[in-house]
Amino acid sequence: MTQHPVNGPDGPTAVPRLRMRGIVKRFPGTVASDGTELTVLPGEVHCLLGQNGAGKSTLMKILAGSYQPDEGEILLDGEPVRLSGPQAGMAAGIAVIYQELDLVPDQTVAQNLLLGRAPAAGPFVRDRRRRELARAAIERVGGTFPVTATVRDLPIAAQQLTAIARALTADARVIVMDEPSATLGEADLEAVFAVIRSLTAEGRSVIYISHRMDEVMEIGDRATVLRDGRTVGVFDIARTSKEELVAAMIGDSTELVHPADRPAPTGEPLLEIDHVRFPGLLDVSGISVRPGEIVGLAGLGGAGRTTLLRALFGDARGDVAVRLAGRPVRLSGPAAAVRAGFALVPESRKEQGLLLGLSVGRNAAVAALGRPPWLLPRRTGARRAAPVLAGLGVRHASAGQPVGELSGGNQQKVVLAKWITRGGLRVLLLDEPTRGLDVGAKADLFREVRRLADSGVAVLLASSELTELTANADTVWVLHEGRNVGRFDPRTTPENTIAHTVITGVTP
Amino acid sequence: MTATTSVDAAAPGRGPSRPGPGRRRGADLIVRSNLLLVFLALCVVASLLAPEFLTTRNMANLLQQSALTGIVAIGMTMVILTAGIDLSVGSTAAFGGMVVALLIDRDMNFVLAILVSLACGAAFGALMGGLSAYLSLPAFMTTLAGLTAIRGLTYLLTDGEPAGGDIPEVFQLLGGGFVGYVPIVGIIFVAVTVLAALVLRCTTFGEYVYAVGSNREAARLSGLPVRAVITAVFAISGALSALAGVLLTSRLTIGQPTAFNGLELDAIAAVVLGGTNLFGGRGGVFGTFVAVLLLSVLRNLCNLLGLGSFFQMVVTGLILVAALILNMAIEKRGARA
Repeated sequence: MTQHPVNGPDGPTAVPRLRMRGIVKRFPGTVASDGTELTVLPGEVHCLLGQNGAGKSTLMKILAGSYQPDEGEILLDGEPVRLSGPQAGMAAGIAVIYQELDLVPDQTVAQNLLLGRAPAAGPFVRDRRRRELARAAIERVGGTFPVTATVRDLPIAAQQLTAIARALTADARVIVMDEPSATLGEADLEAVFAVIRSLTAEGRSVIYISHRMDEVMEIGDRATVLRDGRTVGVFDIARTSKEELVAAMIGDSTELVHPADRPAPTGEPLLEIDHVRFPGLLDVSGISVRPGEIVGLAGLGGAGRTTLLRALFGDARGDVAVRLAGRPVRLSGPAAAVRAGFALVPESRKEQGLLLGLSVGRNAAVAALGRPPWLLPRRTGARRAAPVLAGLGVRHASAGQPVGELSGGNQQKVVLAKWITRGGLRVLLLDEPTRGLDVGAKADLFREVRRLADSGVAVLLASSELTELTANADTVWVLHEGRNVGRFDPRTTPENTIAHTVITGVTP
Repeated sequence: MTATTSVDAAAPGRGPSRPGPGRRRGADLIVRSNLLLVFLALCVVASLLAPEFLTTRNMANLLQQSALTGIVAIGMTMVILTAGIDLSVGSTAAFGGMVVALLIDRDMNFVLAILVSLACGAAFGALMGGLSAYLSLPAFMTTLAGLTAIRGLTYLLTDGEPAGGDIPEVFQLLGGGFVGYVPIVGIIFVAVTVLAALVLRCTTFGEYVYAVGSNREAARLSGLPVRAVITAVFAISGALSALAGVLLTSRLTIGQPTAFNGLELDAIAAVVLGGTNLFGGRGGVFGTFVAVLLLSVLRNLCNLLGLGSFFQMVVTGLILVAALILNMAIEKRGARA
């Protein structure tokens, strides 16, 4: 247990804004919270850290009033409170902004902000008054978009600000942000950070949940680390290193945080991107990947990484000129790309990667069935997928287990297994493959990706986390506003240099 | 989510970490056999309430009455498994029945006439499914358009008059004949069910049907021929509808352009009652098979008890709702396990 002396903004003796003491929450077959402790001071950004399944979400659901704890107590400004439901949580001044934004996409910003509490005269909504209220709320979080815009049409960052603004219209004392950065690029994140700083300056407390250590180091005042439902440490972030936090999160397990270096692959390029052009959106040229090479694609949100990967997978209409082993390939659609040996691990594994209702075995085999005699797909599929699933170390009860029951890391491995089972893999395209995964699962996934690369596959890896790219890629290309602006060797280039290019688009 | 991952983190080995899947399969079995149990219970009740229920004559009648809807419901099951819906089955069936009657009337060999009729049904299905798959139109709309347009075409064939009259004996056997006590349409219904089950379970095409229904986008990004699969299930549904039309023409010895009004609703009701998920990916044809029989036993029982058809409609609706609630409850328990 590492306990640094705490110096919150109001000094060490201030009454904590929030205290959760000895929280226990049991679910059938598991204890999600096992005597968890959390103390949040007024006006601080308190980061809640832990691997997936450490009990962060459960704790926050208890705080929001969605779950009732089996044991333990909650004190707000020293007063014990009972949060019997989400309404009670809101009334007590606790606002939770979930990762999946719970906005109504087809309504306007103003309608969303005052959903259920629209100003009215009798049965009629006072629309102008509603717009004024909404505008004030959006201005408070620094938004500059019109409140008459439909939420669906707004960029993610603006949607995030809308969600924050909505949480704030109630007079919130504690604001919980669950991985706000999961869908944001770095520039957008700055806008959210600015809002967080202004909130804490007003004396409100923010509980910030994130897997990205860089953000935690930047925005956090203190951090509580959870592991297996218990509080394993409270840290003063200014005096703590990233490594210490990560070590506390993963505990005694010896998962790699920094993977071993390996020699850069040489040889003729396997994949050559002569050019990929979408007018006004993307203009990328001259990227090549050798067999065994992992090429990282860095960039801000909207820089075109996803579009590039989808174009390479035949899933976006545009001017695409690509050569595979020197020969031009026509990528008329995903099916053609798959036949040519391309494989995509898409951005959203639940919506694009997996057949969520079907079993692990059927998911792992589904891409491998397109060959004669087209009979007994479940038996042949299970036979071919079993060694792949075992080789990847997918933790599952049986091949018949629904894939939706697996943890995020294991689900992502099943997506990978789908392509390995198919065979004939030549180019692997990974789009944010570690989104939402914990540290151990990330290391595990990259170990498998490197193993595939070592077997001669060309890998293109898009990620928003630069550290992930520099740690795993042989070459890093930076995309900026649809163009590939710089190529770096992470072995010789400091991460800051690449980060600078990511944000500015200028190479040193 | 949290519960799942904590268990994962807690269990050190790779071995089975909890009883989830076993129980899930158990729940699946309960869902499926539940319907069967309800069906058997209903049969017992029926035989107690109405002694004439268990007579071979009544049983044969029952099978004959349910077979045509059943054949259509099997095709509907495949469409719904891909998360589609086919509202045009009634019109396609009527069209199929008229075509076969007209062609036989024009002295075409009846085997050939049947094949032409089935091909028409398949073509209509492929057209509507293809429009839906390739132009991303909702199947609900393309088949709703089909429902109207194909019914209109059916009327246009004879200006709304029934067709046929001089129908060969052999052809009449198809819809009205018996092998022993078993009606031939019943045998065809069973055969279609078994064949569909084999296609779904034992061919790559069947696996693709489930994949497309479970997550169309993921199936597409796995390189599966999603649009072809969707077009194909609609073609199958169209062909099976036409088959039902052919069998009706054979039984009545004339083609009725007004036949099969509202068939789509009966078929969808049977599919849903049979446990197939309206949003695709889960279910199968055996559930549909039992559900079709269950619904017609219910109707049969009402008839034997002398309850009017208005009453029957109310009971059918209530049974549907009850079955849906039961299925959901069991599924929820399975999901939580």
